[in-house]
Amino acid sequence: MCNFLWLASTEGIGSYAPVLIQLLIAGAVVSLLMLLTHILGPKRKTKDKLINFESGIEQIGNARKPMGVKYFIVAILFVLFDVEVIFFYPYAVNFRELGTEGFLAVLMFVALFVCGFVYVIKKGALKWED
Amino acid sequence: MKPLIATAVFAILMMFAALTVKEKKSFTHFAAILMLGLVGLNVWELADYNRLLASAQASPDLFGKMLRVDNYALWFNVLMSSCSFFYILLVGRSIEKVGVHVGEYYALHFFILCGVFLLSTYNNLLILFLGIEILSIPQYILSGSDKRNLKSSEASLKYFLMGAFSTGILLMGIVLLYGAMGTFDIHGFNFYATGTLNIMGVVGVLFMLVALGFKVSAAPMHFWTPDVYDGSPTPFTAFMATIVKVSVFFAFMRLFMEGFANLDPYWKVTVLGTITVLTLLIGNITAVYQQSVKRMLAYSSIAQAGFMMFVVIGSNAMAMKGMIIYAVAYTLATVGIFGVLLKLKDYTYDGFNGLAKKHPFLALIASICLMSLAGIPLTAGFFAKWFVIAAALEQPGTFWLVIFALVMAAVSLYYYFKVIMAMYFKTGEPELITPVTTMDKVVMAIIGSAVIVFGIAPDMLLAWI
Repeated sequence: MCNFLWLASTEGIGSYAPVLIQLLIAGAVVSLLMLLTHILGPKRKTKDKLINFESGIEQIGNARKPMGVKYFIVAILFVLFDVEVIFFYPYAVNFRELGTEGFLAVLMFVALFVCGFVYVIKKGALKWED
Repeated sequence: MKPLIATAVFAILMMFAALTVKEKKSFTHFAAILMLGLVGLNVWELADYNRLLASAQASPDLFGKMLRVDNYALWFNVLMSSCSFFYILLVGRSIEKVGVHVGEYYALHFFILCGVFLLSTYNNLLILFLGIEILSIPQYILSGSDKRNLKSSEASLKYFLMGAFSTGILLMGIVLLYGAMGTFDIHGFNFYATGTLNIMGVVGVLFMLVALGFKVSAAPMHFWTPDVYDGSPTPFTAFMATIVKVSVFFAFMRLFMEGFANLDPYWKVTVLGTITVLTLLIGNITAVYQQSVKRMLAYSSIAQAGFMMFVVIGSNAMAMKGMIIYAVAYTLATVGIFGVLLKLKDYTYDGFNGLAKKHPFLALIASICLMSLAGIPLTAGFFAKWFVIAAALEQPGTFWLVIFALVMAAVSLYYYFKVIMAMYFKTGEPELITPVTTMDKVVMAIIGSAVIVFGIAPDMLLAWI
């Protein structure tokens, strides 16, 4: 009647038992280690421990203020163009089979990306200095 | 599909215009011209399709059965692009004031329209997913485009996080449906292929229902709507609440009408009926308590979504007509009232006090639009509600649902007329942030008269079907 039960009965949910056992062991190890550090470790509660860690330097002001996101933009753009390159691999493998039509399709794909690239450069997204 | 490709090309053109052009005003002119071109392309596509269909040369399946066009979907595209054209003419001045990247805002609108055209013609769940994503991602950006405004950032972040979550649910639903049916093609679904109801498929349907319900802000998936609509810059709220919402409803209806047609109708009425009742109840009752007209319109859009749910419940020929009429009536009226709202400085009800004395034309257009939203006869909203209710009544077991909807429509009269009362019967000094230009007056007059004309002869909208 119910598909899930039917699947479980025919495929045999037992074959997934090792996965379950591994999950349980992983959970047990983590909780055991955390429990042990709490029981065995010494407890020193000081006020300094509660403030934000800033590499040993005393903290200055609020963390929530505007800052440049240059690196973030570069990283995002990297991912974008990286993915474009990934699409070339399957095309390179099938270069002969796809023929002229495939070549034109890829050309269009690249042309669209070049449009984006020109836009990014002109917009100054890759300009590191202000 | 010329218009589909054109939207992407036009968006790229807008982006490059943003690089070279400095004058903000010229973006609006350029976008309006491109949008007019898009309307023309859509009309051409529709006429071309009909001509080829007559000589039996046209195939409805495009791009390897990924898209499927018919008169109905193509006509919907024509209407949506026309509404977008009037939207740009009416709120273009306000879009220029949102921020510095005006060209990009328009480019994002064109990308959204690309999603709209995909959603109206999809034949494959993958294209449905693609359409919803192309539709949503520009909206996340647009809602956060007023960067210095904390509320706008909040709206963007909230919408993005919750939208991403609902997309995950949509994908899960698509996966389950594929697992159950072995196909992404919505015309190839059969829930009784093995003789009994396919439970995995039904779970998939429920997931799709939740995800699409989120996108159209049907209760109980509506919680993002008030904050996002209230926080987003007002011109973009107008676009999100109208063209985007009705397009997702169009996709929603097509999924249930063509994809899930052989599902037990009783099941549909029970589950969709519950969602409809909740949406109508929460939307209307909460709208009564709002102080800000913009936020009231956000709740009103939830309430209107409740009525549009009847289209999904009906999923028949009448529902197709109802969808077209409701889409146009709701879009025109909401764009009109947002156009008036954008002129005002104060978005609370008090901001409308005495508007009829000082700017009688604005007050008149606002009243026509609000009456259309409430569903007063002789406005387009009346026939919109009439058609969707007639569509729902063709399904057995929807009688009490319809009675409930009528009661809720009566409740909605209260908050819509509160604005009209403020405009006509209260005294005050409403302040405008921008003067009303001749252009505004012309567009508002077109929208106002369209609402009335479609209220007298709704068949005009169905001529092409």
